[in-house]
Amino acid sequence: MNSIWEVIDRAETGPYMEEKDFDLKVVAKKCRELVKEYDIKFDPKEIVTADESMADDVYEAGMRLAIEAGIYCINTKRIIKFDESEIKEGILSAPKELVIGQGRDSRILYARGVEDPRRAIICGGQAGAAIPEDWYLPMSISYMKEPLVDMINNGGLAVVEGRKVRTNTPLEIQAARRELTMLREAAARAGRPGISFIAGESSVSALGDLAIASDKYMRTSDAHLVALLNELKTDYDRISKVVNFTEYGAFNVTLVDPIIGGYAGGPEGVAVCFVASFLLGRAMYRSEYHVCHPIHFRYMSTSAVECMWNLNIVGQAMARNAPFIIMGDVWTSAGAGSEMIFYEIAANTITNVVTGSHPLGVSATNGKYPHASGLETRFMAEVAIATVKSKLNRKNANDLVVGLANEYKDKMGKPDIGKPFPELYDVNKVIPKPEWNALYLLMKRKISEMTGLDI
Amino acid sequence: MLNHEEILKSLADSVISGDEEKAKDFAKKALEAGIDPLTAINEGLMKGMSQVGDDFSKLKIYLPEVMMAAEAMKAALSILEPAALQKGSGAIKKSKVVIGTITGDIHDIGKNIVAMLLRANGFEVYDLGRDVPVDDLIRKAEDVGADIIAASTLLSTSMPYMEDLINLLKERRLRDKYIVMVGGGPVTREWAASIGADGYGDDGEEAVKVAKELLQRVKGK
Repeated sequence: MNSIWEVIDRAETGPYMEEKDFDLKVVAKKCRELVKEYDIKFDPKEIVTADESMADDVYEAGMRLAIEAGIYCINTKRIIKFDESEIKEGILSAPKELVIGQGRDSRILYARGVEDPRRAIICGGQAGAAIPEDWYLPMSISYMKEPLVDMINNGGLAVVEGRKVRTNTPLEIQAARRELTMLREAAARAGRPGISFIAGESSVSALGDLAIASDKYMRTSDAHLVALLNELKTDYDRISKVVNFTEYGAFNVTLVDPIIGGYAGGPEGVAVCFVASFLLGRAMYRSEYHVCHPIHFRYMSTSAVECMWNLNIVGQAMARNAPFIIMGDVWTSAGAGSEMIFYEIAANTITNVVTGSHPLGVSATNGKYPHASGLETRFMAEVAIATVKSKLNRKNANDLVVGLANEYKDKMGKPDIGKPFPELYDVNKVIPKPEWNALYLLMKRKISEMTGLDI
Repeated sequence: MLNHEEILKSLADSVISGDEEKAKDFAKKALEAGIDPLTAINEGLMKGMSQVGDDFSKLKIYLPEVMMAAEAMKAALSILEPAALQKGSGAIKKSKVVIGTITGDIHDIGKNIVAMLLRANGFEVYDLGRDVPVDDLIRKAEDVGADIIAASTLLSTSMPYMEDLINLLKERRLRDKYIVMVGGGPVTREWAASIGADGYGDDGEEAVKVAKELLQRVKGK
């Protein structure tokens, strides 16, 4: 298999191309052609599909895109190419199981299958959000004290010591270290000292990443995210992060977030682009696991119908053909404290769990506002467990997901953004306030009755 | 021989299908047929672009098609605009926008979508790309005589640079000269107001709507 050294070599010597040409003449053109050739069709009435041949077609098209396109390096304007044997070697060597975390808090994170009867691993936190320094500790505890939460991916800090953190500045180092210090403290206080983190979110550049590769902050049983840039691109900052964690020995996780409506086209083209991104992410970053995060061009949320269809078809395509460990994001338009968020969580989570991914969330309001807490993540975990317990197949899952989506899809343009964490929780005791708890119980009952799931 | 209506329709169609050659061809045909260049722009090209904007907002087409449409329009304009100027038309003035993904951020698809939709709605857009320093945005705005400076980011750690943009404009006593709009994943309406930005868009469509409203309200355009 290629090492990161060969990746760096190819970033310097691969075929030269103007970026606009790569966007339009490679990605856009090939995605469009492949979708047409394989006759891949999105059907909003079949968000969770049982059409396995379409899942296999998406995979095959994605493999072709991976081989034909490669990855564009923004810094050098060169394409990092991989041949079929290198990509297949990446698939064969990809871990099917990983031990994450330490001691009694360790978990086995595994490659989920379609309609997998095993309990999904629950990753909690408001990933991607900028969380105020004052609440970061209690908010993190609120996730970690939830017994059903297996691992953590909380947001980052945008302010440290009252100073705004700016990209590529020294404060990124301090923000990343402060984030990890508080996560460690939260884990200790919640009695989960070995819980595994996906962290280092306070620093987008490699600066903070370099600063936390130490047992004091990130352990080798933890992980960081390394994005593939939209679409099928990388840069030296991302590669630096990979080099750092590869040598440190912690996990690299590819964050793949193609945009529906962007260069890859509509939901169908994005599905093909997803598969190519996962395959190339493994070949290039040697990622141990991956995050599936379709972005809707208008709503962002993974709970949008087109995005859930992507989670479904990509999850199945990978599980059937290249079983990678995949976390499926649960990003909602609504915020904690609203009724709407429960419908979004339920639909998104059922989709993920039935079609090959572990749920990661809840990133309420798409991380725009820190209107999130541990309680709605408890609900996500309960839905995931009930889905498996009820042995939900894809057809039945689809009926439930379509019904749940009908409850919120017309409200996504103007969602109820809920309330900030301190209005939802007693921040000293880190317990939900009575009103928030009452709404959770009400919505849990409503959705249980609506879906027949024993949530 | 095509009549005026057919030529204008073909101009619109050439934009919708993103066909540069056809767009140039019908731009020439429009002039040969004696159609006023401004009419060809407004009743042909702009109508096509308006359709493209509508189709994109409904996800009937995607970013590459919008970009191809914009290229086709640019090709036709290269023929029609000089002709309009030659006729001494003063009505061709377009509002100018300088746009970029701000310092520290290399995510540019959202910004590209907004830039394309602004073009589709008749703005003259100067897209400086990504990771654009604050003073570069201001320098370009000064150079081209822009009406609007628009900044985008997907990173919460690049949002402070938007505040820097407003502050630098104030320091240089240029704040009143420009409409400043901000947007992007983590940017909220409330935050935009808190730093003193003039406008914010949740998405590309809203950005265009707000830009038009602000131009009318602030600059009377």
